[in-house]
Amino acid sequence: MNESAVGEGVDATAMATISREPAIDAVDVRKTFDRGIVTALDGLTMRVDSGEYVAITGRSGCGKSTLMHLLAALDHPDSGSLRVNGRDITHPDHVNRYRRHDVGLVFQMHNLLPHLDARSNVAVAMLGTHTSRSDRRERADELLEMVDLADLGHRRPPEMSGGERQRVAIARALANRPGLLLADEPTGSLDSGAVERVLGILEQLRSEEDVTIVVVTHDDHVADAADRVIRMDDGRVVDAL
Amino acid sequence: MSFIWLIGHNVWSKKVRSMLTAAAVAVGVLVVVALGIVTDSIRTTAAGVLKVGAADFTISQKGLSDILESALTEQQLTRVQKTPGVKSAIGVLLDTEALDKDHPLVVEVGIRPEDLAPFGVRLAAGREFTAEAADEIMVGVRLAQDIGVGPGDTLHIGGSDKTVVGVFNTGNTFGDSTVMFPLVPFQAYERQPGGLSLFFVKVDKGTQVKALEQRIERDNPLLLGIRNLLEFGRADRGYQLITGADKAATIVAVAVGAIVVANAMLLSLVERYREFGVLRAIGWSRRRLIALIFGEAAIIAFIGACLGVVIAFIAVWVLADLPDLAGILKPTFEAWVFGRALVTATAVTALGALYPALRAARLSPQEAMRRE
Repeated sequence: MNESAVGEGVDATAMATISREPAIDAVDVRKTFDRGIVTALDGLTMRVDSGEYVAITGRSGCGKSTLMHLLAALDHPDSGSLRVNGRDITHPDHVNRYRRHDVGLVFQMHNLLPHLDARSNVAVAMLGTHTSRSDRRERADELLEMVDLADLGHRRPPEMSGGERQRVAIARALANRPGLLLADEPTGSLDSGAVERVLGILEQLRSEEDVTIVVVTHDDHVADAADRVIRMDDGRVVDAL
Repeated sequence: MSFIWLIGHNVWSKKVRSMLTAAAVAVGVLVVVALGIVTDSIRTTAAGVLKVGAADFTISQKGLSDILESALTEQQLTRVQKTPGVKSAIGVLLDTEALDKDHPLVVEVGIRPEDLAPFGVRLAAGREFTAEAADEIMVGVRLAQDIGVGPGDTLHIGGSDKTVVGVFNTGNTFGDSTVMFPLVPFQAYERQPGGLSLFFVKVDKGTQVKALEQRIERDNPLLLGIRNLLEFGRADRGYQLITGADKAATIVAVAVGAIVVANAMLLSLVERYREFGVLRAIGWSRRRLIALIFGEAAIIAFIGACLGVVIAFIAVWVLADLPDLAGILKPTFEAWVFGRALVTATAVTALGALYPALRAARLSPQEAMRRE
């Protein structure tokens, strides 16, 4: 087992020896739904180092998406500790700022705003961040160029292919220079060519930017591209390779 | 891209939805503005007589439903004239008559010839009538132009043909649309010998108008002083009813408009669940989301207000031309109409947007994004 990936059964002494501050530090996280009837995460413990590119896999219903929602601060755990870059992200006062500045989200269904063009879809994430209008535009153009869509800034999502939309979504997720990028099945609805382009961008981010990447996927090809694969089952980490 | 741009873009990109919501606002504005113009017109017409006499205040009988029914006496006039501080008090007898279909409510004023000048009547053509001449009248310049009469012409009014001996102006639109009769023959025709309707009082220099008015009311319990349009309701219950109906209809229109807007915005909210969820997920605060919704609502309110005012103007024009209202409804389109429209539209939209905005702000992002 990789020392930076901690699943069940890792003792406290081993944890203490790790000196580097983890990007994600989840300890004994529990999350239930329907008044406790459905258990989504059952004492999950895991750790991801800063700058790592990690894939989370597991069968449907094993808790992957719930974990992503907790990491994105879209939901709260029932119990346990969840820290990102040393900060307790479950604290209500931190949530908006965390979502705005510290984490970027990429969804399976891109979730772009259909009435805005690609440039505005990227810039909308920067509203309320004390950046000037020209800086927002410049940053949006820079990101669209990075995802190879410099010429399509004026197009609205319905006028773009699935792969192009997903690349705009990645650009939006990176708009505020987050330290953590979370992607939930980012290639789930793409053809193979588009999958390769998205993977290429993630690889570029891992190598050129100081971004920690966590990708939930069913696709072995996507998982293979990661530094490390964490496998989940029944709301727990069962394997970390 | 700026926040303001995004607000405008959201309204523009959902044109049909925005226009339907604006139409709902416009309906509320239309009702309130049209009703306002109509009641103001009726109010102005009803109270217009007060402005004719160029007086500091007017006195009528207390407890009336229509000020034109006021019944005062020469004795009461004498008592008022003798009150310290009263410079002059002119008594007039009023009635109304339908002249023709375009002039269904002409006000007739019975007045002594010697009171004409102090009453503010200036001769524009011809001469003044004499005190006992039962067949002589004077016509206001506006009415004279309207019906095409001048000195020497004959007009059938007050039960018989009368000779127009003079055309006058008072500097007041309402006054210039009246017909004046010598008081005594007019009292005889009205079967009210010695009867008067209103007293127009001017006060001595240095006398406080309000104090004098109160003193006359105290000394004469059956009399009521009216200094301005606001006090007109004290003398005319019809005016109070009009004002009350106007307020009630305004409240109902705003409430109905707000419900329609809330309904439209709630439907729009359901349609935009995912959009709001995404915005919250990428770090938008609840406050910013509420500001977005209220910003969009403000633009819709402005469009609705403009639309409502235009439709209200057209509606009032049409109403004013209806045979039953021609000559009675004289709409005036003044600045307050726009103010009232904006206030109504803002109230309708703010009330209508409040609940949807709060609901949107409370949405859980993940729940919102799951919805289609």
